[in-house]
Amino acid sequence: MRDVVIIGVGMTRFGRFLDRSPQDLGREAIWNAIEDANIPLKQIQVAYVGNAVGAQLNELKGTIGQHVLTTAGIDSIPVTNVENACSSASSALRLAALEVASGNHDIALAVGVEKMYTGDTAKAAASMASGTPYAKYGFTFVAEYALNLRKWMRKYPAVKVEHFAKVVVKNSKNGSLNPYAQFRKPLSVEDVLHSRMVANPLTLYMCSGIGDGSAAAIVCTKKIARKYTSKPLIEVAACELLSGTYTYPDEAHEACSSRAAKQAYERAGIGPEDVNVAEVHDAMAPAELKLYEELGFCQEGESARMIDEGRTMINGTIPVNPSGGLAAKGHPVGATGLAQIAEIVWQLRGEAGDRQVSNPKVGLTQNQGGLVVGDNAACVVTILKK
Amino acid sequence: MGSQLNESSKAVKKQIPVAEGLFYQPSSPGEKPYLIGSKCTVCGYITFPKIPVCPRCAKKDTMGEIHLSGKGKVESFTIVWSPLPGFKAPSVQSYIKLNEGITIWSLMADCEPSEEALKIGMDVELVIGKVREDAEGNEIISYQFRPVKNN
Repeated sequence: MRDVVIIGVGMTRFGRFLDRSPQDLGREAIWNAIEDANIPLKQIQVAYVGNAVGAQLNELKGTIGQHVLTTAGIDSIPVTNVENACSSASSALRLAALEVASGNHDIALAVGVEKMYTGDTAKAAASMASGTPYAKYGFTFVAEYALNLRKWMRKYPAVKVEHFAKVVVKNSKNGSLNPYAQFRKPLSVEDVLHSRMVANPLTLYMCSGIGDGSAAAIVCTKKIARKYTSKPLIEVAACELLSGTYTYPDEAHEACSSRAAKQAYERAGIGPEDVNVAEVHDAMAPAELKLYEELGFCQEGESARMIDEGRTMINGTIPVNPSGGLAAKGHPVGATGLAQIAEIVWQLRGEAGDRQVSNPKVGLTQNQGGLVVGDNAACVVTILKK
Repeated sequence: MGSQLNESSKAVKKQIPVAEGLFYQPSSPGEKPYLIGSKCTVCGYITFPKIPVCPRCAKKDTMGEIHLSGKGKVESFTIVWSPLPGFKAPSVQSYIKLNEGITIWSLMADCEPSEEALKIGMDVELVIGKVREDAEGNEIISYQFRPVKNN
């Protein structure tokens, strides 16, 4: 397999844009990535486009990738649409990277796009649950997070709701420094705990909201990259996708994200201690704590101490979600994975402005989606190296 | 059934199961409801709902239909204040550990949506009932669990 580097990334601001179509959002992200890569548009040889709930919420019901790409000025090349719920965009990146690694193509584009806000947030929430067979029974993802969190809190009584609030406080502060973030107001522990209850013990500010946006990345070989850009090349050292195991909520199993992380560390030839910055899937902010453990940033049962000691803040030993994460940056589901990638690329290049982590060399993203029985439907862990 | 007294101008409301093959609703007072699951004839793995291939053995035609008793204990619960459109709020969603050993997701019925009304480990039983209405006013019915009296 050939080495693969990211030569350009781009995204739109995340937010609620009633007057913008998925095509228009995708066009902006693609052109931001094209300009970042300093590459002529027509050099793109193949593209993968992630989108999760467009067929339910948007006027356009199919081949969204081709429509987005033609709006951006790209036609005639092979295009594949990718749907893996909230992990659609990083699944698209994986396929683009494999095109280059395999030698099938030299320059590939990955795009994630989602247009969720149509004036009806209940409809958008229903579209998320519809990826499970349980939606018609009344199942909601926020309740599922709450049920699992409560089991976890019983197992580790040191974990309190205040710890969940501290994750939100950290991420809202990071988001306030990010011009691409949907929510830019720094929140206090009191703000978080006193916001409206959504599903005990999760309050409104602990949950990611409904939003629109797009993000894109261009990958190629090192040799080609050097023809176009003088920016630091960011190597895709691993981009590992796994499905969950068929297990009921009470059945012992290794979490999908933990399995994907182990595989990614092995492929990249590093361990969790080598990661300098990470973007993780905090669709509900408290889940970030669990991910510290599943990704190996701390031992099982020690995540509450991680947040108490500020170790995952921008100036901490392992900064997590410097972009603000899903809860502050926003979570247009099919775009999220590539927005995480864009943030890590900017961090590794030293281009992250006010939220810059001190000189990181290795970054990680973790992006998950869907639910099958008691595990995630999909999880992608990506490791990027400067 | 007072609603049937002046039905001459109104369509009779129907009860529609949320999905086929998920549960049995008693048709006479002597019967009990049950959940329809499956069990592997080779390794004994139990699932709900019923599935055609055992995820453990991964061999063809080893799964047989079983009726799950509908008795269990609350493993985890949450009070949901923002449900999907049409569902009641606040309401209780739960993980129920069935006596057969597997833990499943369920709505709770006949219990107050409060932290005080529910306890981890409390005994619950299956009940089939309305979870929402469709656009025509028909009752969409599903499996739910309720606290066993004198718990």
